[in-house]
Amino acid sequence: MAKVKVKSLTKRYGAVTALDGVTLDAESGELISLLGPSGCGKSTTLRCVAGFLSPDSGDISVNDQSIVSTPSNRRDFGVVFQNYALFPHMTVAQNVGYGLLFRKIPKSEHGPRIENALRMVRLTGLADRLPKALSGGQQQRVALARALVIEPRLLLLDEPLANLDARLRDEVRWLIREVQQQSGTTAFYVTHDQAEAMAISDKVAVMKSGKVAQFATPRDIYQRPSERYVADFTGEANFLAARVLDASAGRFRIEVAGQTLDVPGVASLKAGDTAELLLRPESLSLDMDGASPRSLFTGVVSKAAFLGASQHCEISLGTGGVLKLAAPPNTSIAAGEQVGISVALEHAWLMPEVKP
Amino acid sequence: MTDARKWQLLLGIPAVLLLFVFLIMPLAGMVEMSFRTAGSNAPYGDGFTAVHYARVLGDGFYMATLLRSLVTAAIVTLLCLIVSYPLAWHLSTARGGKALFLYACIASPLMTGVLVRNFGWMIVVAIDGPLNASLMGLGFISRPLRVMFTQGLVIMALVHVFIPFMVLPINNALRNINPALSEASLSLGASRLSTFFRVTLPLSFPGIQPGVILVFVLSVAAYVTPALLGGQMVNLMPTLIIRELTGTFAWPFGSTLAIVMSIATLSIVVAFSLLTARLMERVRA
Ligand SMILES: Nc1ncnc2c1ncn2[C@@H]1O[C@H](COP(=O)(O)OP(=O)(O)O)[C@@H](O)[C@H]1O
Ligand SMILES: [Mg+2]
Repeated sequence: MAKVKVKSLTKRYGAVTALDGVTLDAESGELISLLGPSGCGKSTTLRCVAGFLSPDSGDISVNDQSIVSTPSNRRDFGVVFQNYALFPHMTVAQNVGYGLLFRKIPKSEHGPRIENALRMVRLTGLADRLPKALSGGQQQRVALARALVIEPRLLLLDEPLANLDARLRDEVRWLIREVQQQSGTTAFYVTHDQAEAMAISDKVAVMKSGKVAQFATPRDIYQRPSERYVADFTGEANFLAARVLDASAGRFRIEVAGQTLDVPGVASLKAGDTAELLLRPESLSLDMDGASPRSLFTGVVSKAAFLGASQHCEISLGTGGVLKLAAPPNTSIAAGEQVGISVALEHAWLMPEVKP
Repeated sequence: MTDARKWQLLLGIPAVLLLFVFLIMPLAGMVEMSFRTAGSNAPYGDGFTAVHYARVLGDGFYMATLLRSLVTAAIVTLLCLIVSYPLAWHLSTARGGKALFLYACIASPLMTGVLVRNFGWMIVVAIDGPLNASLMGLGFISRPLRVMFTQGLVIMALVHVFIPFMVLPINNALRNINPALSEASLSLGASRLSTFFRVTLPLSFPGIQPGVILVFVLSVAAYVTPALLGGQMVNLMPTLIIRELTGTFAWPFGSTLAIVMSIATLSIVVAFSLLTARLMERVRA
């Protein structure tokens, strides 16, 4: 059981600031994802936590004890690498049992523990194979078993699914989550795939050039993002420029596209601020009979594509701006049609305008 | 036969010819010569005999020399490995300009001719040379050491010149090891030392094996360095062989010595390869 805190971590490589005050924490047994585009500092954060890198400043603590000066072989953390990093000259069993060699565990217990770990990742009968005789998915399972067999205080995974094909990725993703929850191990999980992060995490840290842009539950980063960057990175999003007229306790009266609306939003906004209104495609619906009384906006269909389960539409608004939305598969929509758009306002979200 | 296949064969011809003319033919000639009878007023006689082999294998002097040659080569190889490994490690972590500079330093023994290099050693270790002068100046010794014409000097000089043959393949193998493997080992609780012996060392074996074989073979066959720095005091096989071939003009007997030395060397190389085949099979990518 380990509670992990990462506080104001910074790391510079010459002129490049890889980490600029990264702060995170995980309660015991939680899985925390680090999500962001390539180069935003996810791996650097994870490598600092693992002890492969030492941060320039900041602190990392486990159960309120600082470990920044503890060498990686004393941290008792299990690490799973993107390229598996299995020892090629050792069999599956030797790989999984490797960590036991350096612990005070009687030799007679090694066999059962290795077997148990392999069963946990649902890999049996391959104990005597060499890694090169395994598929990618099997190799990643071995890597997971090897990291878990030592019963680590913290499990660190750096894009563990990146080298797997789509079908396997799903399977191994759920396996990781299941095993992590079963063993109650606290985990940090690095990924650039928002769907992956949201599906398996208790909390997600969305990273932006060395900083944590938002650290919250999957639902919050999707429905209540702190800024446009987070909204964009977590899924399809529409943004409309807005102005705050009145603010009270997280509810805002705003002016947007010539209308006055009441919407929820980021608490720090004040009357007079310029802001951006987030409308997720699923909070919008088309009114096919032109503009109905329910319609908030009207516009012209500029693009319609049939995707199977839904249709992707883009609507150019009369007041400027474009809204993307998903229409039901069986309504007939053609480019050039005049349509109205209804909005589920309780699912709209107002965010401060952040200059890039 | 396809066109591509034809070209492949055509392109292979020069190499095959070269091998045939400069390796197979001389070797066959050597084998034939080793079975010739000794000549009275010529380098060899008309008949054939196996008596030279009986003489080499039956005479303690030649067997002792062969053994000395092989042991010396083994010592050179081992020392070379011990000296070269850290160098190779250092080289494998260097990048860009620094790596280039280190490559040049490591290849430097090969850039001077064999005579110049050995003459350099003679100057350094001479009775009144800089080595003795410094050791006496520092008070380590009171009388100059006689280093010239010792087996130690021959070994040292051979280690020096063969270092590049050991460093370069090991460096290559170390560069091919995924750096995440050491990190994985550390994270699992292994110390740096355990990580080295359990992960890095075995995985660098694809470099150690060719390095060891190269240096061993070159050391057994080395002639100029032992002749110049060991003189009459250090008797090794190549010195004996050359003496028979060009000194007493006993070509059949000289050839026999050469063939016996080659077979002994080859057997050791094959045995080493067989013993390490399992490890090689495992660590090959
Ligand atoms: N060893 C290094 N030397 C110089 N710059 C580095 C090094 N490692 C990472 N960086 C830089 O630090 C930033 C963050 O890298 P990284 O943590 O690997 O990103 P991510 O894992 O999110 O893709 C990048 O801009 C990268 O170029
Ligand atoms: Mg990365």
